[in-house]
Amino acid sequence: MNPRATELVQGTLDMLILKTLQLEPRHGYGIALRIEQISKGVFQVNPGSLFPAFRRLERQGWIKAEWRPTENHRRAKYYKLTERGRAQLKTETAEWTRQLAAITRIMEA
Amino acid sequence: MVLGAKLMGGIRALLRKKQAEQEMDEELRGYIDAAAQEKMRSGMTPEQALRAARVEMGSTEAVKEEIRGAGWESVLENFWHDLRYGIRQLRRNPGFTAVAALTLALGIGANTAIFSVVDSVMLAPLPYSQPDRLVVVWESTPHFSHVWISYPNFRDWQRNAHSFRQIVAYASADSDLTNPGVPEHLKGELVSAGFFSTLGVSLPLGREFSTQEDRHGGAPAVIISHRLWRDRFAGSPAAIGKIVTIDGIGCAVVGVAPPGLHLGGDPDIYKPLGQGDALLLDNREIHPGILAIGRLGPGVTISQAQEEMNSIQKSLDRIYPDADRDLGTDVVPLKQEIVGNAGGTLMLLLGAVGLVLLIACANFVGLLLARSASRAREFAVRLALGASRARVVRQLLTESVLISLGGGGLGVLVAKWGVNPVLAAVPGDLPRSENIGVNIPVLMFALGVSIAVGLLFGLAPAIKSSKPMLEATLKEGSHGSTGSRHRAQSGLVIVQIALTLVLLVGAGLLFRTIRHLWDANPGFDEHNLIAFKVGLSPQLVKTPEDTRVACQQLMERIRKIPGVHAADFTNLVPLGGDDNLSPFWIGTHEATYSQSAPRINLYWTGPDYLQTMGIPLLQGRFLSPEDTTKSARVVVVDKAFADTYFPGKNPVGESMTIAYWGTVQIIGVVGHVRHWGLGIDPFSQYPPAYASFYQLPDRWVPAFYGYLTAMVRTPLALPAVMPAIKNVVYGADKDQPVYDVQTMEEIASRSMSPQRFPMILLGAFAGLALLLAAVGIYGVISYSVTQRVHEIGIRMALGADNYEILRLVIGHGLRLALFGVAIGVMGALILTRLLPSLTHLLYGVSPGDPLTFVAVSLLLCFVAGAACYIPARQAVKIDPMAALRYE
Repeated sequence: MNPRATELVQGTLDMLILKTLQLEPRHGYGIALRIEQISKGVFQVNPGSLFPAFRRLERQGWIKAEWRPTENHRRAKYYKLTERGRAQLKTETAEWTRQLAAITRIMEA
Repeated sequence: MVLGAKLMGGIRALLRKKQAEQEMDEELRGYIDAAAQEKMRSGMTPEQALRAARVEMGSTEAVKEEIRGAGWESVLENFWHDLRYGIRQLRRNPGFTAVAALTLALGIGANTAIFSVVDSVMLAPLPYSQPDRLVVVWESTPHFSHVWISYPNFRDWQRNAHSFRQIVAYASADSDLTNPGVPEHLKGELVSAGFFSTLGVSLPLGREFSTQEDRHGGAPAVIISHRLWRDRFAGSPAAIGKIVTIDGIGCAVVGVAPPGLHLGGDPDIYKPLGQGDALLLDNREIHPGILAIGRLGPGVTISQAQEEMNSIQKSLDRIYPDADRDLGTDVVPLKQEIVGNAGGTLMLLLGAVGLVLLIACANFVGLLLARSASRAREFAVRLALGASRARVVRQLLTESVLISLGGGGLGVLVAKWGVNPVLAAVPGDLPRSENIGVNIPVLMFALGVSIAVGLLFGLAPAIKSSKPMLEATLKEGSHGSTGSRHRAQSGLVIVQIALTLVLLVGAGLLFRTIRHLWDANPGFDEHNLIAFKVGLSPQLVKTPEDTRVACQQLMERIRKIPGVHAADFTNLVPLGGDDNLSPFWIGTHEATYSQSAPRINLYWTGPDYLQTMGIPLLQGRFLSPEDTTKSARVVVVDKAFADTYFPGKNPVGESMTIAYWGTVQIIGVVGHVRHWGLGIDPFSQYPPAYASFYQLPDRWVPAFYGYLTAMVRTPLALPAVMPAIKNVVYGADKDQPVYDVQTMEEIASRSMSPQRFPMILLGAFAGLALLLAAVGIYGVISYSVTQRVHEIGIRMALGADNYEILRLVIGHGLRLALFGVAIGVMGALILTRLLPSLTHLLYGVSPGDPLTFVAVSLLLCFVAGAACYIPARQAVKIDPMAALRYE
């Protein structure tokens, strides 16, 4: 059974989205799925938080959207990481690691 | 960079709304499909998968709303929506909107009007280049902090003062123009060379005076005003070099002054100061009405200039001990000099009109509370549908700002059309009042005040409306929480009444002051007295003896006019603002240097002046026609002089020595005249004294004869007697203008304008406040009656008669009024003592005058009672049966 899904803070969600796009572009559901799978179900992002996050990241210039055709003659919106997005991801990862280490130290002290 | 991208994104979203909408739909549909696919892979049927996916997403509309909210443009869209919704709501209730806007229009309009005056008089920079570098340099003595300067001192300043890039002097000097065209009396100025360049203004035609012209014997030259240029020379460049006859002398026009200079009135003609009367200019001891203006050098501060002037004057004092001992200087910014005392009064009025705005805003809040109570269901529904409280508050704030902007716009119109007519009707002698009007700073002020009022006073009602008391309001027929609303409105009314009381007290105190001033005995009979000036023709005043004969004959002819009881002339007019302070010494010689000698205000008059003015003779005799240059010098003193310098004795027969004249004998004592003002006489230490003009030494006659005013005692009205007088004047010589015609009552009245101007305006504000407060009380009492219908019905059923109901309702209103009066009285007692701009205007009343306080309190209570009358009548008309059934 999945434990109760945890709410993600806005800033953290942004960082996770950037991370999932690090290897390849994905569409909206793909990103949600990946986050859920890798986190082993701890984080289930609902669309009400996901899509506004996409818009935010787009406005910041960290991800770029493009429409690609799918099998059944429809199109899907794919997001990919920009150069600035990669730099931002690096920065946020470093900061996150730093904070995590600090919290761990405190909790184990 | 990021900002730009954000901006572009938002704008793109706004412009391509439909496309963005479609794309969002498409993306969300794709999401659901992908989710369904995933679920089918884990074994669900297509229908189950699709349903599960849809449930997972939730409301598509809600998601889209979240997406829209993520960009900044949503704020704009919300605002636009609030605006349109608000306008619709306001239009659905025109009555409410109109009353609310009108209430605010009164408050904001009055404030805008006063602010436009403040802006023009106090805030706007002077119309010269770099005006904050311009200063005025006064001289000072141990008795007076500001005296006119002496010309030789000024010339020494010019040579030695390095703080100033330029320093120039000017004095007012009216002239008579006789050629070309109709003889006209012109207001004029004597100015040094370099005067206009010091101010930093350039002449549209011609040039300034040169240093050669600015001295004795310089070529007669004049600069004419722009108006004179237009009127007499049709604005043609050929005016330069033309000769005009000024005071009998042909002068060449060398330049035209720029329009709008506005320095000390609007002079029509400028002459070189150095060509003025040598008697006045060459004597270091004489300070003949000259003022110095300097432009500070680059980087020099006023205190540095002051220090340099102090040291310069100190050395002058040492070098010329007789003339300059204990003389000092005072350097003052030009703007401060021009604005003078007007600033204090204007600030007082600004404060008062601010109180009026607060009272109007209290009504505004009351109206908003009433309105929002009736819209309670609308808000309850919106909150129930998921609107946030902030959203509802934003909506209501938008509406209140819309109303306040509407009221502000109306108020600006009122100010625009009202200010100048009001100022014309109530002369305030305000400096710099030429440009009063609604300009950009004033509009900004009105806009700022409107928005602030809408936000500040709309906030509390808005927050109250957004409280989610859903169940109570959604049910029909509930009263909601009216208790708190009633308390709030009652509190507002109490504050309104308190503020109104303060305003009424201020107006009342000034009113009593004016009454006292009017009743004060000025020492002469100010009724049936006419004053005017005559520009004596140069033909008639070629020699001092001719001048005396001309004056005498003119007066005699005027006395013969039917209806004229007495007439004579004088150089000074009581309450006219001018003076002629002359040092004197008791005894037969000058005991000390003139700076430390006491002074009298010396009137040079015709022999009949004292009788014409109705000044009573107490001892000795009046001046007579027998007192001439060939007889012994005599002077008439007044009671104040006698009491000060000859207490308990009869001064008739004693000798005194007057500077520049000689030893004279006192031949009479007359009643004291309040020369400086009807109220407290600030310069009572300089009592008037009277000498006969026909004894004035020859050398002084040319300097004095131009400043004579004729006083005529006649019961006839001005329009009835002036034509005859003018005939007499023109009969002597047709080139003699008659000007500055006024009655003594007008002069006396104008001397009270420092009090009258604020009194009338404060009275108007108090009246406005009274009206607004009455409306406020009416609103509260009326509302309370509708809330207590049930209770009143019970009372009536139990046997209460009409009077008891009336007493109940009016008593409620009076109780509120009494609270407000009590608070207002306390506040007024404190304020009226603490405000110097008010206390220094009062005369004959103390700031805590009981009569005023009691009278306005009673007035306020009466008005409050009257405002309760209509709701009380409606309460009485309640049908008890219907009331009892009313839930």
